[in-house]
Amino acid sequence: MIKPEEIKMSTDESGKWGMVIDQDICTGCQACVAACAMENNISFVGEADSGYGRSMHWIRIERFWEGEYPEVKMTPNQPMMCQQCGSATCEPVCPAFATIHSQAEQLNLQVYNRCIGTRYCANNCPYQVRSFNWRDYERPEPLPNQFNPDVTVRRRGVMEKCTFCIQRIHKAQDKAKSEGREVLDGEFTTACAQACPASAITFGRVDDPESLVSQLAHRGHGVKHLEELGTLPNVTYFKGG
Amino acid sequence: MIKRLFDWLKQPLGLIAVGIAFLALFSLAAYGIFQSQQSPAQPIQFPHATHAARGLQCLYCHPGAARGPSAGIPAQAKCWACHQQIQKTLDSQLADTQFPLLKPLVAAVTSNTPLEWVPVAMVPDFVQFNHRAHVAAGQNCENCHGDMTKVTVAENPQVFNMGFCLNCHKKVAGENHELLVKLTDCGTCHY
Repeated sequence: MIKPEEIKMSTDESGKWGMVIDQDICTGCQACVAACAMENNISFVGEADSGYGRSMHWIRIERFWEGEYPEVKMTPNQPMMCQQCGSATCEPVCPAFATIHSQAEQLNLQVYNRCIGTRYCANNCPYQVRSFNWRDYERPEPLPNQFNPDVTVRRRGVMEKCTFCIQRIHKAQDKAKSEGREVLDGEFTTACAQACPASAITFGRVDDPESLVSQLAHRGHGVKHLEELGTLPNVTYFKGG
Repeated sequence: MIKRLFDWLKQPLGLIAVGIAFLALFSLAAYGIFQSQQSPAQPIQFPHATHAARGLQCLYCHPGAARGPSAGIPAQAKCWACHQQIQKTLDSQLADTQFPLLKPLVAAVTSNTPLEWVPVAMVPDFVQFNHRAHVAAGQNCENCHGDMTKVTVAENPQVFNMGFCLNCHKKVAGENHELLVKLTDCGTCHY
């Protein structure tokens, strides 16, 4: 029997891919949300099911209220997606090992063909970034023509979440390997970062001290959300910098 | 009611009826299994053996295998590049009598309608397969697709399931731990 005081939180810095989001220049235009849906074949849930809280987004723009009623202040726009935790809370609760940690890319994977739809992972995610396919949502013609062939089209009963555009990571790695070199910093980026008109999102290798993303992340005033839970998130937020 | 049915089944005529029903079910199942093992119908029963025997490389018609994820199925223009110089293709009388397989090709080229080949070697949608990485790693086409000099229409010599992939990945990685981690990572193929 393990005593509560014996349980140690993992604190070691891990992670390979990371993201820096500057909330001061984010305008909340939702371009990242649209780009993510296009890139990753995310279903269009529609009004009725969204009303039940079944909307599906891998990234969303959060805003909160600050203060009491007449003096209400809106907080800056906060793009929220899977934080690709180094010690993720979603992973140990999956009974089917469908959400597991990639040793090669240090990402939280969601293996769709293993997922049996218990939704434990979504309930255990402190960031609430996982979305569940409650139905096979309709895609009228010609929408199926814009499917991204590099990403699985998920079916009903499967959990899904942001993958840090792992298909783009693999594509860049494959291209670099075919040219006999390493992947360069800034050679590719995620769909959300690419679509951001304000360049509020930066993506890259956090384990490479020379990369833009790790230089930004170590500027000092960055915040990692819910870090006190010991999840070791890989997304750094800047606010009021 | 049920007792009367059992009594009827126990007499000789009933036993014969049971036998016939069993045989019908068995042959239906056997037919179903036989059908599921057949290669799909192609617009032309393309003789891979003939082409491979003349020394054509796989990559001549399926060049995508060396460059990207998909090996590709050639368009009729690629067939026609060679076949328009071959006398037996152009001679319609000869094609009628001796080489009926060439007629759909000529018809497709003259009417400019594409040949709709049916893919044979396929993996499920949740598997992301990249030909380039496998060719670059020194795998030959026949390691997965079998010896095409022996078949006419392409058929799968084995089932492409995860065990088949992983067996080879583990063998290739061997003692190289870093490579083994990469090649047995779920995210390498499933995303």
